[in-house]
Formats: sequence, structure tokens, C-alpha cells
Amino acid sequence: MNARMILRLVRKDCWLMRWPIAAYIFAAIAGLALTAWGGAMGKSAGITLALNVLIGVSFHVMLGPVLGERERKTLAFVMSLPVTPGDAALAKLTSAFTLFLIPATIAATALVWLAPVDIPAAMAASHRPLWSHLLGTLGYYAVVLGAWLLFFSVVLGAAIVSESIGWTIAVLTGLLFVLGNFALQVLPTLPGVGRYMRALGRGQAALPITIACELVAIAAIVGIILMLQRRKTSFV
Amino acid sequence: MSEAAIQLRGVCKRYPHFSLRGINLDVPDGTVLGLIGPNGAGKSTLLRILMGLVRADSGRVTVLGREMPAAERWIKARAGFVSEDMALYGAATLAWHMQLVSDMYEGWDPALASDLVDRFHLDPSQPVRGLSRGQHVKAMLLLAMARRADVLILDEPTAGLDPVVRHEILMLLAATRSQRRALIFSSHYGDDVATLADNVAFVHGGSLIAHAPVGQLLVGGRSLEQVFLAQVAVLEGRAA
Repeated sequence: MNARMILRLVRKDCWLMRWPIAAYIFAAIAGLALTAWGGAMGKSAGITLALNVLIGVSFHVMLGPVLGERERKTLAFVMSLPVTPGDAALAKLTSAFTLFLIPATIAATALVWLAPVDIPAAMAASHRPLWSHLLGTLGYYAVVLGAWLLFFSVVLGAAIVSESIGWTIAVLTGLLFVLGNFALQVLPTLPGVGRYMRALGRGQAALPITIACELVAIAAIVGIILMLQRRKTSFV
Repeated sequence: MSEAAIQLRGVCKRYPHFSLRGINLDVPDGTVLGLIGPNGAGKSTLLRILMGLVRADSGRVTVLGREMPAAERWIKARAGFVSEDMALYGAATLAWHMQLVSDMYEGWDPALASDLVDRFHLDPSQPVRGLSRGQHVKAMLLLAMARRADVLILDEPTAGLDPVVRHEILMLLAATRSQRRALIFSSHYGDDVATLADNVAFVHGGSLIAHAPVGQLLVGGRSLEQVFLAQVAVLEGRAA
């Protein structure tokens, strides 16, 4: 691994994507502001905007630095630089996660308002110290961001491994369907899952377990991507 | 006998509908090798294997005495690659590309880069998407040459260029041949190979069918294309 070269490739991707990412950051901030101060209608619009930022930035990163290199024939240029395929794959993963995380961190903040408990009201009603509420909110925030990062990792894996726009869009659409219909509507109605999600909302032990599971799943996906990448024999 | 700057031994690469079979090839130090062959003959695959863009299924690839892919980073740091199937970032300027490449190569020569900018009449502040095909090839050559590469690997660098630009590029490559240890390039134009190369290799159907000094093949007023076609005819059992 050549950290210096990897960093240069990451900087290259970030520079090439600077304007779209700036637009997504602006949209995410707007979504956050609407959710926080826009009243009932603003909250709904803000959350929709935040979700769209997450989906939009996922698409943009996949079609830009990840799949775009091959489509635009710049992959041969990158691979002719003094890097190994492993360096290039690691750089691609780092830049994809960086580019996604900047606007996603802001957008996920807006999604925390979707928490199953009204956080400010719960804070006012309970006699627990402020730090425990902050810790619970941060935990819930980490779960939301972790879930999106996991979603992004699966799509990123599909993009890097398949190198196909069609398959990547299919995986992304399938995941959105599963998330939108199954995870958010069907899963909570199952008795055990409902209890778990309420525990998640109350910031009980379910929170760290969920965060740990998300991190393990993301690490496993990244590991699988790097392993499959190592088996490739063509890099253009 | 001088050491081979590039050496291939029994290199094979199999695709579902095409195979490169048992390639043995030497490019001695200080020489230029031209590859001639029709589309799909395996020239690009061969050059990509040399540059580590494609892994050979079997065989040994040595560049500047080191094996590919074990010494991939080392070899790439000393080799320049330009392909007709390669592009720069359209939204970025040539100056941005020069900065990117100069950060990655210790041997980057700013004076040579500046000289090539002038010689090629390029504007470093112009976004790459605004460059013509010829200017794009020149920009890629500039990036490959200004790093003072010991080996240049060029895959049909003059394809699709007008005769003036083609001539300019050939003259530049000829004028700068003493600055590197080897040049290997593919071309559809026998004239380009005859102008620039010391040796020529004919590639046909994934095999190397001939490898000889250019002067040895250019006898009886025949062009390299004619020699190539005659070789293929002999190989296929037709009359030459």
C-alpha cells in the first residue's frame, strides 16, 4: 500500500467532484433548516430533501468517480500512474466514502427528527441529566448514519464489483424498495422487532449493539470488495 | 549483447473470444519496436500486459529488469503509457493534469514539460474537453514524456490524427529517442513503424508471426503492410 499515492488519488476525486458535493451540502443544510424550523410542513419537506440528498449523492458518487472512470476512459490513465490495483481500489473506496459522508452527515441530522420519540419533549419530561439525552440522541444519530453508510456500502460494492451502471442502479433501486417498504413498514409491525425499535428509540442497550452490527457489516462489505478486487485481472 | 529493456516469455492471456498465445519478445536497450497487426490481433492486450493494466494468465513479463506485476509500482514509475483508448479528465485543465502527474513522479521535468507545451502549441489553462483529438494525444504524450520515463509504451498513438499532427508526433518521438531506454508502440500505419522503429513485430490472431529488424523486411520496395499481408498469406496457406 502506498499511502502517498492513495491520498493523491483521493484528492483528485474530491477536486473533480467539488461542485456537485457543494450543491449536496447546500441542499442538506437547507433540509436540516427546514426540518428544524419549518413547522410541520417544513419538517416533512426537510426530511424529504434530506432523503433525496442521500439518494442523490449515492447516485452521483457511483456514476462519477466510481463507474465514470471506466465509462470516460480515464481508468487507463489512473492505472498507468505508479499505483497498484489495490492502491487504486483503496483510494476509490476512501474517496467514495468521503464524498458521501460530508453531505450525508448533515442530511442524517435532519433524519434524526424522525426518531420514534420526540427528543426535546422527552428531555423536558424526564428527570435524567442532559448528557444522557445528548448521548442517546448521538447514539440514535449514529444508527441512522450507520444505516445509510451500510446502504451506500452495498451499492458501492455492487458498483465496484460489477462495473456496470445497470447492475448498480438495480441494486440501489432494490435496496430503496426494501428500505422503503420492508424495513420501515413491515419490520416494525413484527412483535419482536417492534419491541427492539422502541428500545432503540429509548436509547437502551439496543443502540450500541445496532451501531456495532452496522460497523461490522460495513467492514465486511469493504473487505469483500477489496478481496474481489484483488482477483481481477483487467483494470481498464 | 545489450540487456533487454522489455522481455516477454511465453505470455498468454485468454478471453472468451480471443487468446494471446505464447508471446516471446525482446526490446533491447536503446531500441524502438513497432507492432503491426489488424484490429483485434492482440496488440493492445500485449501493451496493456506490459503496463500492468491487464494480468497475463501465464508467462513472464520483465520491464527494465523487474517483473510485472511483482514490481508494478516501480515499473510504472519509470514507464509512460499512452493509448488511443485512454482519456484525461474533461473538466480539468492540462495544467491540473500536469500538477497531478508531477506530484506522483520524482523525475518530472518542469522545463521539458514547458518545452513540450510550446512545441505542441498547447494551452495549459484550457479544459481538456475543449481539446481536439490531436491536442488530446499531444497532452497525453506530454504527460508521459515530461516524467522522463525510461520506457514509453504507446498504443496506436497516431490513430485518427491528421497527417500534420501525425508527422509532428513521429518527429518528436524520433528526436527524443536518446532520452529513454526503449519505446514500444503499435500502429496500423506501416510508414510510422518504418520511420520510427528499429525492429518490427507482426501480431496476428493473438500470436507473434514475425519479429525482425525493419531494414531486413523492407526489401524489394515492399511496404511493411505488404510484408505483413504476405506473412499472413503464408501462414494461412494461401499464395504470397
